[in-house]
Amino acid sequence: MIVTYNWLKEFVDFQYPAQDLCDRLTMIGLEVDALVNIGGDLDSVIVAHLDSVEPHPDADRLTVCQVNTGTEVVQVVCGATNHKTGDLIALAQPGSVLPGDFKIKKSKIRGQVSQGMLCSEKELALAEDSPGIMILPEKLPLGQPVFDALGLKDYQIEIGLTPNRPDCLSVVGVAREVAALCGEKLKFPDIQISEAEAAIDELTSVTIENPEGCPRYAARMIKGVKIGPSPDWMVRRLEAVGMRSINNVVDVTNYVMLELGHPLHAFDFKHLRDGKIVVKSAQQGEKFTTLDDQAHSLNAEDLMICDGQQPVAMAGVMGGLDSEVKDDTETILLEAAYFKPTMIRRTSKRHGLHTESSHRFERGADIDMIPVALDRAASLIAELSGGHVLSGMIDNYPRQLTSLDLEISATRTEKLLDIDVDCNTIQSLLESIGLQVTSGSHSDCLNVRVPSFRPDIEREVDLIEEVARLYGYDQIPVSMPVGTVDAKLPPLRQLIQKTLQQSMVTAGFSETINYSFVASDSVQKVGITADDKRSEQVKILNPLSEDQSVMRTSLVPSLLETVSRNLNYRSSDLRLFELRPVFLPHETDDQHKEQLSLAALISGQREPEGWSQSAAAVDFYDLKGVVEEILANLNIYNVSFDSSATQPYLHPGKSCQLMSGQLLLGFLGEVHPEVLAEFGIDQSVYLFELDVENIIEVAGEHAQFKALSRFPDMIRDTALLLDETIIADQVMDIVNRGKIRFFESATFFDLYTGKGVPAGKKSLAVRVRYRDLEKTLTEAEVNKSHDKLIRSLCHQLDAEIR
Amino acid sequence: MEERVKQLQQEATSALHQADDLIALQDARVKILGKKGLLTEVMKGMRDLSAEERPVIGALVNTFKSQFESSFITRQLELQKRDIAAKLANEKIDVTLPGRKTTSGSLHPVTLVTNEVVEIFSRLGFAVAEGPEIEQDFYNFEALNIPKDHPARDMQDTFYISDDRVLRTHTSPVQIRTMVKHKPPIRIIAPGTVYRRDSDLTHSPMFHQVEGFLVDERVTFGDLKGILTHFLNEFFGKGHSVRFRPSFFPFTEPSAEVDIECVICGGKGCRVCGRTGWLEILGCGMIDPEVFKSVDYDVDTYSGFAFGMGLERIAMLKYGVNDLRLFFDNDLRFLKQF
Repeated sequence: MIVTYNWLKEFVDFQYPAQDLCDRLTMIGLEVDALVNIGGDLDSVIVAHLDSVEPHPDADRLTVCQVNTGTEVVQVVCGATNHKTGDLIALAQPGSVLPGDFKIKKSKIRGQVSQGMLCSEKELALAEDSPGIMILPEKLPLGQPVFDALGLKDYQIEIGLTPNRPDCLSVVGVAREVAALCGEKLKFPDIQISEAEAAIDELTSVTIENPEGCPRYAARMIKGVKIGPSPDWMVRRLEAVGMRSINNVVDVTNYVMLELGHPLHAFDFKHLRDGKIVVKSAQQGEKFTTLDDQAHSLNAEDLMICDGQQPVAMAGVMGGLDSEVKDDTETILLEAAYFKPTMIRRTSKRHGLHTESSHRFERGADIDMIPVALDRAASLIAELSGGHVLSGMIDNYPRQLTSLDLEISATRTEKLLDIDVDCNTIQSLLESIGLQVTSGSHSDCLNVRVPSFRPDIEREVDLIEEVARLYGYDQIPVSMPVGTVDAKLPPLRQLIQKTLQQSMVTAGFSETINYSFVASDSVQKVGITADDKRSEQVKILNPLSEDQSVMRTSLVPSLLETVSRNLNYRSSDLRLFELRPVFLPHETDDQHKEQLSLAALISGQREPEGWSQSAAAVDFYDLKGVVEEILANLNIYNVSFDSSATQPYLHPGKSCQLMSGQLLLGFLGEVHPEVLAEFGIDQSVYLFELDVENIIEVAGEHAQFKALSRFPDMIRDTALLLDETIIADQVMDIVNRGKIRFFESATFFDLYTGKGVPAGKKSLAVRVRYRDLEKTLTEAEVNKSHDKLIRSLCHQLDAEIR
Repeated sequence: MEERVKQLQQEATSALHQADDLIALQDARVKILGKKGLLTEVMKGMRDLSAEERPVIGALVNTFKSQFESSFITRQLELQKRDIAAKLANEKIDVTLPGRKTTSGSLHPVTLVTNEVVEIFSRLGFAVAEGPEIEQDFYNFEALNIPKDHPARDMQDTFYISDDRVLRTHTSPVQIRTMVKHKPPIRIIAPGTVYRRDSDLTHSPMFHQVEGFLVDERVTFGDLKGILTHFLNEFFGKGHSVRFRPSFFPFTEPSAEVDIECVICGGKGCRVCGRTGWLEILGCGMIDPEVFKSVDYDVDTYSGFAFGMGLERIAMLKYGVNDLRLFFDNDLRFLKQF
C-alpha cells in the first residue's frame, strides 16, 4: 500500500517529519518498506524572475533572458515563445538532473552563455505535454525550490501490510493509525452532494440473487457527465501512489478507493441492457470479456454483476469491456458493494486476475463504508465531469452483518503481556483506533464493539494484541521464563547424526547440501532400473522446472552433479559428503518414507597438493578406510564387505555391499565409467551411500574397554603363497577364529604378485602379534602358537609359506 | 720432583688446550695419564723420595690428577657443544615452505549455524525435535490456523505432492506434531528443510528454518522477548540493539517481527539493511489459542510462544555471504571456507 505524506495530512494533523512518521508506523505494525521524496531530486530547480527577455543576436527562434534568482542575475538562452519580462519561471540551475536523467550544464548557445534552463511542466514531469515553459503564479519567493513553492513536495510512503490489516489499504486507514500515534482526531472529507430532481430508482434497479456472495449492493447515478482528462492535482496524486490516470470518472473511482479503501465501479449506463443490475452466479462455461480485453470462460461459482441479460462485471474483480466508461459516456451507474472475501479470492485465482479491487475485497472490505464511498465518489464525479447526481441512492442490503461485541479483561491482558495496564489505559488505547469501548460485566472487564473496518479482530486475544501494539512492544519489559526444564540428553538418532558429521569432517570431507528435488530421469542416469524401488519417486504436482520435479530416492545423482560442477570450477581433488533424507516408497502403503542417507565420494589425489606430498590418486581402499572409521566411531563391529551384490552405478569388480548380519548398511565402490561419462566426469570417483536408519539400528552406544597387558608383545611375519582367488577375509577369518593361544592381533603388511610368484598365485604377508596379560612370552611359546596358525592356514587355504 | 710435577701440570694444560677435536683430546689424555704417559714417567721418581717428601708429592700428584680430569671434562663438553652447533648449523631448512597438509573437511555453513542455534537453545533447556519434509496439509496449514482460502496462504506458495500433502513451507508443523504427543511444559527447537515455490536471486525453492517454542503455565510476551534477546546476543554478540515490532502470523497472537541493529554497518544504514539500520531476523509471537485448541490444550491454563527464522539468512549475516545461491552450488572453494 502506498500513501503520501500530504494525503495523510488531509486526514489527520500530525507534526512528525517524514522519516520519523515512517519509523513510528513501522513500530506500530505498519512496516514502511520505502520512503521516497517526490521532487526531492529537483531542489535545484528554483523560482526565478525574468528581468529581461531579448532576442538572440544570432538566432531568430531563441531569446536571451536575464534571470534573477533573488541572489544573483544569470543569463539563460531559451527557445520558448510564451515568456516575457516580469514572468516568474522555473529555473533549472547547472547541476540539476531533470526526470529522464536530463543533466543541466552551463553552456554556450550560438555564442551566448546560458547558465541553466527555463523548464516546462513536461520537463519537470508535471504534465504529459506542455506548449511552452512553465509560467509560475505571481508572488512566489525567489530562489525557493519550485516544488516547495507550489506545494508539490511530498513523500511517497510504501507500507508492506500484513494480510490481516485490510483497513490500512486506504489513506484513511493509515491516517487512523497516525491519529492513534499522535493523539489527534481523524478528519473525514467533507462530502457535499447536490442531488438533481430525478430519482435514481425511476431509471434503474438492483436485484441481488445471491445475497450470500453479495450481502450489500448500493448504487448512485450521475447524468450528463463529460468524459475528459482529470485535473492536474488528481493526476499527480494518482501518479504519486503509482497509478495511471485514465479519465475523470475512472480516476475518481480509483481515488476514492485509495482514499477510503472501498473499491467502486462505474458503468456506462447506456450499455446496461434493460437498465438494471442483477447480482448472481455465472452460468458454467459462460463467456465474458473483462475490460483488459481478456476472454474468460466462467465458473458457476463466479459471482457476476449482470444487466437485464448478461454479465457486465466480474464482481469485485474487474468490469466488462462492453460497459466500461468511454469517451462518449454520458450517464454513469456507480457501484459500491460488499462481496464475500472467499468468493472473490477464488474467482480472482481462477481467472488469474489480481486487481486493486479484488485485493481489497478478498481481505475484507468495510461494509459500513459503502454509502460514504459512494457519496464521495458521486460528488467528485459531478464536480470533475460536470454531471449531476440523481436523487437518492439504491442501497440493497439483504444480509445485515451484525457487529461483533467482545470482552477484554485487564487481568488476562496483564497475564499474557506481563505489563501493568488498567481498564482506563486499555479503554483509551482501543478508542484511539476507533473501537467503541464501554464498561464490562465487572470492574476488570471492558466491552468492545468491533467496527466493520476491522474484520481481523474476532477474539479477546486480538484485542490484547491491539493493546500490546498501541502500548508499544518496546515498552513491554523483558523477562525469562520460569518453570521446569526437561534436561535429557538428545536421542540416539541425533547423537549419531552428529557423530557422522564429525567423522566425515575429520576424514577430510566437505559437507554439501543439494536440492531434495531432482529431474525424474536422474535415477536412470545412474543406471537404476524401473523395477528398483528407487525408481518410484514422489512427484511434485507443481514443480518449478522438470529438473526439480521429483523427490530424490538416492543422494548419488546430486553428488555426481556436484563433482561435475566442481571439475568445471577447476577443483579436482574432491572429498564431499551429504547427510540428508531420501524419499522412498513405503513398503506397506502408498505413502512414502523419509530415510536418512549418508553419501560421500572421493576423487583426485590422495594428499593435498604440495611441494613434498605424494601425487598418488585415491582408490577403493581410501574410501573403504573412511567407512571403517565411521563404523568404528559408532562402535559397529562384525560387518562384512560383500562383493556378491553391488549397484548398477558401480564398477562390478571394485564395489561391494556393506552388511551387518542380514541388514544392508549400504554400498561402496568405484563409480562405473559409463555413469561417469553421463555426468561428463573424466576422472575416477569412489563413493558410498549408507542407510543411516539401519546404521542407527546396529550402532553401539559406547566402546567396550579391553584390559591392557604390561608385558611385551612378540611379532611373527609370514608371507603366504595363495591361490589368487583367495580373498583377504578368508585368511583373516581363519586367523581370528583359530583360537590361537596368546594371539593379540593380525594385519596384512604386503600383497605381491609378479616375479618370483607363480602365475595364478599371490603372496600375502601377514603380521601376527602375540602377547599375554600375565607374563612375558618365551620364544618357544610364540613359535608353537604361530606354527599352529600357519599350519591351519596352509591346510585350509591350500597355501604355502613363501 | 715438585718441579717436575709443576712442569707436568703446564704440559697437561697446554695439551688439553691444543686438542682441537674430541680425538685429539682423547690422545692428550692418553699422553698425560696413559700407562706410558708423562705422569707414569714422573711417578717413577717417587721411589727416590724420602719418607717425608713422599706424602707431600703424593698429595701434589693427586691434586694434579683431579684437576686434570675436571679440565678434561670441561674441554670435552666444550668441544662436544662446538661439534653439535656446527652440525646443526649445516642442517638449516627453509621454514617458509608450506607445511605438509592433511585434507581438512568442513561442515556446510547452514549446518554450522544450525548447530550453533541448537547449542544456544539447548543450554536454555530446549530439546531438538524433527518432522517430515513431506507434510500433511493438516500440520502445515490447518492446525496452524491457516484454513483453505485464508489470505495468509498468499505468503506461502507451496509445492504440492497431492491434495493434502505438501513440501512443508515452514518448520511450524513440528509444533503441532510435538504438542499432539506431549503435554506442557515443552521447550522445543526444531531445525529443518523447508520449501517454497519461489526462485530468484534472493529466494531459493529449498532453504532451512529453525522453529522454537515454549509452552507452560504463565508464559508471557516478556518471556518471549527475554529468550530471543538472549539468543540474539549469544549468536551475534552483545552490543547490537534488538527491537520487537508488531506483525502478523496466523498461528501467533500477538505476533512480532524481530529486528537486530545491522551487524554490517552498526545501524548507520547500508546496502545489506536497505539503509534502515535494521535487519529483520525472525518472526515470533504468543501461540494463538486456535493452535492450542487444535491440539487439545486448555487455553485458560497454558500459554506459550513460538518463533522461526531462516538459517541461510543468519548464516549470510554471520559469515558475510552475499549470494544465497552459493549455499546450494556446493562449490568446494566456498565449502572449504567454513
